[in-house]
Parts: sequence; C-alpha cells; structure tokens
Amino acid sequence: MTIAQPPIAAVSRIWPLRIPMPVIVALIPAAFVIIGLVIRYFAYAASVPDETLAGFPLGMCRWDCGWYIKIAEKGYDGYPIPNMINAGNWAFFPLMPMFVGLVHFVTQLPTMPLATGLSIGLSYLTALLGWPLLEKNLRAYTLFSAYLLAGPFSIYFTTIYTEVMFILLSTGVLLALKYRSYLAAGGLAALLSATRIVGVIMALAILVQAFLDHRAAGQPLRTFLPAVLKRPDIVLGLVLAPLGLALYMLFLNYWIGDGLAFLHVQRAWARSYGNPVMFVWQALSNMPKTGFIPTASQQLAAAVITGFVLTGVLAWRRQWAAASFALLCLVVPLFGGMASTLRFTAALAPLVLLACELLGTWRIVFGLSLLGFFVADYFVATNWISGALSLV
Amino acid sequence: MSDLAATPPLVASSAGRLALYGVAALVVAIELFAGWQAIHPNVPDTYRAYFIDRTTTCLDQPVSGDYLFGSEISFSNGGPLIKPLRVCGWEGPVGNGLHAVGESSRLRFVLPATAHGLSVMVELSAVDMAKDGMPVELVANGTTLGTVEVEPGTPQRFTLPIPDAALSANHRLELELRYPKAIQIDPQDSNTRKRSIKLSAGSITGQS
Repeated sequence: MTIAQPPIAAVSRIWPLRIPMPVIVALIPAAFVIIGLVIRYFAYAASVPDETLAGFPLGMCRWDCGWYIKIAEKGYDGYPIPNMINAGNWAFFPLMPMFVGLVHFVTQLPTMPLATGLSIGLSYLTALLGWPLLEKNLRAYTLFSAYLLAGPFSIYFTTIYTEVMFILLSTGVLLALKYRSYLAAGGLAALLSATRIVGVIMALAILVQAFLDHRAAGQPLRTFLPAVLKRPDIVLGLVLAPLGLALYMLFLNYWIGDGLAFLHVQRAWARSYGNPVMFVWQALSNMPKTGFIPTASQQLAAAVITGFVLTGVLAWRRQWAAASFALLCLVVPLFGGMASTLRFTAALAPLVLLACELLGTWRIVFGLSLLGFFVADYFVATNWISGALSLV
Repeated sequence: MSDLAATPPLVASSAGRLALYGVAALVVAIELFAGWQAIHPNVPDTYRAYFIDRTTTCLDQPVSGDYLFGSEISFSNGGPLIKPLRVCGWEGPVGNGLHAVGESSRLRFVLPATAHGLSVMVELSAVDMAKDGMPVELVANGTTLGTVEVEPGTPQRFTLPIPDAALSANHRLELELRYPKAIQIDPQDSNTRKRSIKLSAGSITGQS
C-alpha cells in the first residue's frame, strides 16, 4: 500500500498529550478490543432471552463456527462420515482450527472462549501489521483497527472463523512484499494456502511484485525469468506459497484417500458451478418481495461489486500485486455461486486497507466512518445471531 | 523499488544460495507428489460414485438395515425405527414423511434368512410442483420391480411383488427409488437438490 498523507500532524491534533507513537499504535486496537466486545455483547444480550457473560462466546458461534469447533476438538472426519451425513468437514482448511485445537489441547480451556480470545489476538496483530502498510497514517490505522475489532464484520475476526487468520497472513505477505522480503512473503503465503484455498493465489502476487521490481529497474521483459532464477530467495518464496495446500492434500490423501476431498465434498453442499457474471446478475435481480430492504442475494452482490470497485482503484494506483490477489480472490469463489461472498470480500486485506485509507482521507468522513463501524457492528452482530443469510 | 539483480545478504554466499535452491527443489518435489496423489485417489466405490464421478446423488451410508419383518414403518414421526433403514437421498422426516432429494433414494432392510414371496409397500405423495405426477421406479437389489405414478396431495399406497431371485445371500434388501423426472427447482441447483416425492410409510411383507 502506498499512501501519500502527512500522518504525524493528525496525531497532535487528535491526541494533544505527548504519548509516544508506539504506545498510541498499541493502544488504539486495544481500545477497539474492549469497545467491540461491549458492542457485540449488547447485541448478543438483545438477541437472546437468557444471556450470560459465560454464554457470550458460544452465543456468537453461528453457521460454520460449529464445524471449526468440531475440527479443533476432534479433528477431521474419516470415511464413512460420522453421523452418516454426506458433508465431511474436509472443506474447511486446517490452519485456523488446528491452531485453536493445539492451544485447546495444551491449555484445556473451553474451545469457544479460547477461540474468541485467540481470534481477537490475531486481529490485534493484524492491526499492528497494518500500521506500516498504511504508511503510519493514524486515521487510516484507527479505522483499520476498528474495522477488525469493532467494525461491521468483526464477527468474522473475533470468533473462530478462518477469516481472521486469512486477513492476518495476507496482511503479513503484503508487508513482506513492501520490504521486498520474498522469502518471508513465501513463508507466510504457505500458511495462507493452508488457511483457505484462495491463499495459493498469493504466489501470483509475489510473482507480480518481482516482475514489477524487474521492470522498474529498467530491465527488459525477456530477462525476467533468468533474473528470477538467479535469486534463490524469490524462487523459494514462489514455490513455498502452495506448500500449505500441498500438505493439506497429502494429509487428506493419507486420511481418506482423496487429496482433493476439500473440492469434491462441495457436492454435499449442493454447490453448482457456473458463470460468475450470471451469478452476480441473478443475485442483483433477486428483488425483495415487500419493502425496500435488499434481499440477502442483493447484499452479497453489493459486497462483490464493492470488492471489484476497490480492486479497480488498486489497479488504477498501479498496486498490481495487491490488485491481482484481490481480483482472483473475488473471482475464483464466484464460480461456485454467491454463497459466503460477503465474508470472503470482507476479509480481503488489500481492499480493507485501501478502504480504510480512503475513508481516513477527510476528517469528517473518518469520524462518520468510525461511528458507522460501531453502529454496524451492533446491527450486523444481531443479524448474525438471528441467522441472516447474507452473513453465512 | 528493488532491482532483482541486487543480491540481498541472505543469498550472498554460494553455500546460502545452494541451500535455498535445495530447499526449493524439495518443496517442489513435495508439491508434485501431493498433486500426483491427488489425481490418483484411493477411495471406496461409494465415495467415488458420489463425490468424484458424480454418477449418483445418493451417498451410500452404512446403516444396519435392522427391521422387524412384516411391520409397517411410519416415516412421518422420526422414530428410532427409521434411522437403521434410511441409506441416502432423504431429508427430514417432517410432518408428512421423508422428503426425497436428488435423483434416487435408498432404504435398507435386513430380512429373515428364510424370507421369500415378498412384497414391498410404499406410501408416497409427489411434491406439489409435480402437477402432472411423478414416476417412481422401484428397484430391489438391482432388479427393477416396476414404475408407479405418484400424484401430489393425499399419500397413495403402492404394493409390488419382489421376485425371490432378487433376494441376496446376505438377506439384505436394498430398495432403491429412482426419480427420472425429479424437478430441479432452480436452474443453478445441483442435481443433489432435485425434488420428487415424500415417503410416509413402508413395509416388506411375505413368508418366512
């Protein structure tokens, strides 16, 4: 991310006290940890009749959350699938549930409260990684932190969903690429491809960045491949990126005899494949039968379109590595329909970082956005608990 | 901005470079091995048919088939008698029975060793969308028993004889209901979501 904005001037106006910048950077997401927890607890308390503080983490566990808990506690299904259902849990990539499961195994703490704490910790870390990517722009950083921890989609980043690991690792890769640490980028991308299948796309972003560096140094196109091959750190970074996926495939092959089970099991969810453009158009055309509130399909389509617009802005700014990653992460899941596209879009680090930067450009927009994030956090959390389809 | 020709310290020494190339080669070998294994799955036939070849919408589940010979089972109440029988292709039960999903459904019955002269009774109703009726082909252990035409609305009972030749040595009766005209509700829907009939009761009767 390249942001041209004087950041420090904003600090002195917002925080007149002389607090060291590292402390401010650490405190901002910490404050949103608390604010977000309070907001979501009130949303939870308003949505269930018998709310308790102890029941709050499990109360926020909706949709795929149960699958992740089961993987964290019991691991992957064998075949025949237990409980005699068609859907094995192989579709869920291992890194996030494995991480929660490992800490659960060591600490023996109850899974959902533990996962909530770990997810919040990962979100906090993501916010910190965003600081240099946002060129130390305090308003953008504040919005990024709020988005993760007290924003409209904080439900994904503070429960047990894989989105928190995905946004953390993709932010990490972007940061590594910013400093041209191709090996670190590849290592993080390997973890990313063990988090969600589209994580493997980060290999392309690494390649694009190497290509841009090559061309920026005035080197001709024809010398790109030899130049890359002469850099073992880039070669290793590139080939590391799909390693997480490859290891998961090896595990599945060992476990049930099918390394592509994560793809094949989609049949049990009745996923059909088709033209992404048609899927988006059909979703947009699904008008509400009464009133003006957009249907779940329209909400999903709006999320995807917003994603494409932001990707266009990235491309316009010539941030090609981030743009190529975001574009493919949006398009590839669309071949399988609109399901979960809001969640996928909401966790795309390049788009979130860009949006926070844009919203932080003007002070009034920044203030309204921050307020809007808090309000949206409450209402999205209540809809999450009541089972809104667009949030699946 | 970074020139690819500018060598970072990490790869300055030839030993370091060699090590990185070696690790890269190892990683590529692991990935190729994973890919090779993935395109050569080693799975049971039932898994392959449902998940990989997609030749069936009914994933064979290892239910026991425990059944009190001659008794009539109500598929509307969700009682414990249903679970050992329902192999695949069913949703529910809800108030009006098990709802078929996909292009076929199966039930499994374990029969007495001496059972013969059998008949199968099924009580079915077509889904409301099937205004012209829904043909259902009944197949026992791979032998076609016949095709019945099921109407929507009030459940209808159909009884078909099962030839003794269709009985298996392990005394198991796999009853398959095939729906050649099952309805795809939405053009985007998977064929595993096709709709056809509801099963509200059934029995296997005969001599033992």
